[in-house]
Amino acid sequence: MNNRIREFRARYNLTQEDLAKKVNVRRETIVFLEKNKYNPSLKLAYDIARVFEVKIEEIFYFN
Amino acid sequence: MKKTVVLFIIGALVLIATGFWIFSGSSPVEPAELVSLFVIVLVVAFALFVGYKRLTSVKKGEPAEDEMSKKIMHKTSSLSYYISLYWWLTLMYFSDKLNFETHTIIGAGILGMAVIFAVCWLVFNFRGVRNE
Repeated sequence: MNNRIREFRARYNLTQEDLAKKVNVRRETIVFLEKNKYNPSLKLAYDIARVFEVKIEEIFYFN
Repeated sequence: MKKTVVLFIIGALVLIATGFWIFSGSSPVEPAELVSLFVIVLVVAFALFVGYKRLTSVKKGEPAEDEMSKKIMHKTSSLSYYISLYWWLTLMYFSDKLNFETHTIIGAGILGMAVIFAVCWLVFNFRGVRNE
């Protein structure tokens, strides 16, 4: 599973730390997500999508 | 936060106990004991590193633990347990061949388990957990 978190973060002018605080995870988790080294839980995926005000499938997708 | 404090306390207790063990003996430290000492310091350093990471996260306003760190710990625990079984089997095999003392074998087993845990944790931390 891939994601476009980095792209959305840049669009919303958020740092990794800002996003981490908004979804209540550690900055490391955001780093791992952006590098595709970690697949988030449904709750975390939903929280991230809610921060960017889009549907989950617009951020997370399968190749 | 409580977990982090407990981690630091255990680390300090292990170091104090190791200090007593080294400095209370009348005979000079043997090379085998030096290896044990090195491994103990390595394991304590690892625990302090994990504790320090948690503390810095809390200071930044992030949670000390989140779903990824819990998953890494979970995977680390299961893999290190699995590898440890083979470690004990290896020790049992060599204990028959080389005639080690019982306390040496048990010490090597426990320290080995700690090292295996630390190595597995590092592997998952660098490789990530994708579950695919």
